[in-house]
Amino acid sequence: MSTDEVESTFFRRTSRWKLIVILLILALILTVIVSLNVGYAQIPFPDILGIIGKQIPFLNGIIDTSRISPQNAAIVLQIRLPRILAGVLVGAALAAAGVLYQGVFKNPMADSYVLGVSAGAAVGASLSILSGVGFVFLGLRLVQVAAFLGALSAMFLVYNISRVGSRVPVATLLLCGIAVNFFLFAVVGLLEVIASDELHSIVFWLVGGFSNVLWRDIWAILPFILIGIIAAYFYARDLNLLAMGEETAHHLGVNVEKSKQVLLVLASLTTAAAVSICGLVGFVGLMIPHLTRLIIGPDHRILLPTSTIIGAIFLVICDDLARVVATPFASTLELPVGIITMLFGAPFFIILFKKKKQSYAA
Amino acid sequence: MNTKYIIAAVVIIVLIASAAFIYVYYQGQASDSGLAALQNLVDDHNYTTSLMAYPEKIVSVAPSATEILYAIGAGDKVVAVTDYDNYPYDFAAWIAAGNMTSVGDFTDPNLEVITSLNPDLILASGGVQVESVDTLRDLGYKVLVLDPTNIDGVLKNIELVGNATGKRAEATAVVNDITSRITAVENTVANAAKPKVYYEVYYESTSSWTIGAKAWQNELIEIAGGTNIFEDQQIDYYQFQVEALIDRNPDVIVLPASGMGTGQLESLDAVKARPGWDTMNAVQNDRLCQIDSNIIERAGPRVADAIEQLAAFFHPELF
Repeated sequence: MSTDEVESTFFRRTSRWKLIVILLILALILTVIVSLNVGYAQIPFPDILGIIGKQIPFLNGIIDTSRISPQNAAIVLQIRLPRILAGVLVGAALAAAGVLYQGVFKNPMADSYVLGVSAGAAVGASLSILSGVGFVFLGLRLVQVAAFLGALSAMFLVYNISRVGSRVPVATLLLCGIAVNFFLFAVVGLLEVIASDELHSIVFWLVGGFSNVLWRDIWAILPFILIGIIAAYFYARDLNLLAMGEETAHHLGVNVEKSKQVLLVLASLTTAAAVSICGLVGFVGLMIPHLTRLIIGPDHRILLPTSTIIGAIFLVICDDLARVVATPFASTLELPVGIITMLFGAPFFIILFKKKKQSYAA
Repeated sequence: MNTKYIIAAVVIIVLIASAAFIYVYYQGQASDSGLAALQNLVDDHNYTTSLMAYPEKIVSVAPSATEILYAIGAGDKVVAVTDYDNYPYDFAAWIAAGNMTSVGDFTDPNLEVITSLNPDLILASGGVQVESVDTLRDLGYKVLVLDPTNIDGVLKNIELVGNATGKRAEATAVVNDITSRITAVENTVANAAKPKVYYEVYYESTSSWTIGAKAWQNELIEIAGGTNIFEDQQIDYYQFQVEALIDRNPDVIVLPASGMGTGQLESLDAVKARPGWDTMNAVQNDRLCQIDSNIIERAGPRVADAIEQLAAFFHPELF
């Protein structure tokens, strides 16, 4: 292949990538707009546009919302919009973190459970619920702060246990992570046994969801998730090289230990931010990266951004389903979103896998 | 060889004969001493139990059952309760002082503690305790399951426990007191407009839970002169969409305190400040009320207290 050919392949590929990312962003925006219409309350779409338009400076003068009930305005602005944006952020965070975990561990089963991050969040949340203190820190509930700190502490614990000299071999990291994970979930089980009155609170928290997130919850997690994902993108090339083996990556100029360290911290930071508001929502972090790999391919430079956006779309749609499943029965029922992610996500993944397993095995 | 068979046959015959003798003897004794009420006690799971004599040692593995036992004056027979029990006495303090035995967790009572006490009667509840009940019956213990779904069921349970403990007159008095107090509330609120009531089970950023028509509290709200805003849902506890609550716009918000959920951790101001809640009638008119969750969640003898408190919340002008 001549230099010209290599260059033209590169440009064709990057322009194709740009197109994919732009299309996915459009799909995400479309999903958000459609999702604004989903829910128990029947609010006409023009009203929804009016309610949101009223919030936009310069535009608010020409929009008349006087005939729209304050209930409907509250539902759109304070219930649906924050919950949809929480879905976007949490889905993006979990999927991006999943890409990083799977990339660093070179293991298809790796996700936020592997480093004990999810379990750490669960312990932190359970402890704070048991403490019975509902105190608010910078506008955040104790349970959220505790889950965040629990997740990060678990990650640092696993990382330090696994350290062999100056290196942190992936195999020991994986094993220590699984051991700590089991240990921490045993602690959660123990806390549940002694919880008595607060047992329900712990169980409901562990089921996960983001039905009633506040705007301030979103502002609180936004910087962690945004910075985490953007920073990780600069390590996409390192992830590609790590996929060829740590030895090879080292010889190709990657500071393997430092890259792993940074990537794990970034993945755990985004996961911790996400679980702090939504509890344990399974499947997204594990399956979305695989799903994206099946569709897009294994190159982390495109896999990371597309996984992130697909994760966001997927979780917002799952949350929509959680709300509409009962609507035909005129019901106010809502299903836990974590159940939907697995119930609809797993069969979808299996169908896709059946169709493409040849290319996946290669 | 033959001797072995003969010995085995003799042993079996002796066992059957003594069992028959004991059965006939105790049958006779029970009816002789006028304890007919101890025969054929049918509990909420349609299990029939017969007692030989009035129980001297009773283990209660359900707080509502403990409340019934004390209400009808059989409290002196109670030898063990769960860690959840807190009425009519501070049982945790009794247990700490060694004056009462704990059978531990409500969901998983300690069977070794129960067997070591060798009780004459065990009162349990349904749901999570079903497995423990089966085990206890296999071990030969007399267990009554109290699993009422409505007020009638509670009244029947009080009569049942009265029959089992020989406190029939007291049980009838308790039942009459509850019935007359409920009737008094019903008469007072009969012509009043019914406020739409939201009853909170759990509210967190992750999910929100309330009660439908099949929950025990639904009937209490109804009798107290209110309408559960989700009474069209044929379910007991369930996860609901908060936007449905805002859309339906409740007049009164009932927050059980110190029970399920973290609702009790929040001040009423925090509840009012939840997103979108300022549009609700209940918040605008400041009609949020807290009620002791133990009173309203336990299907026990304090049901009239719960109804009176709810009615006073719903119709302050009438009480």
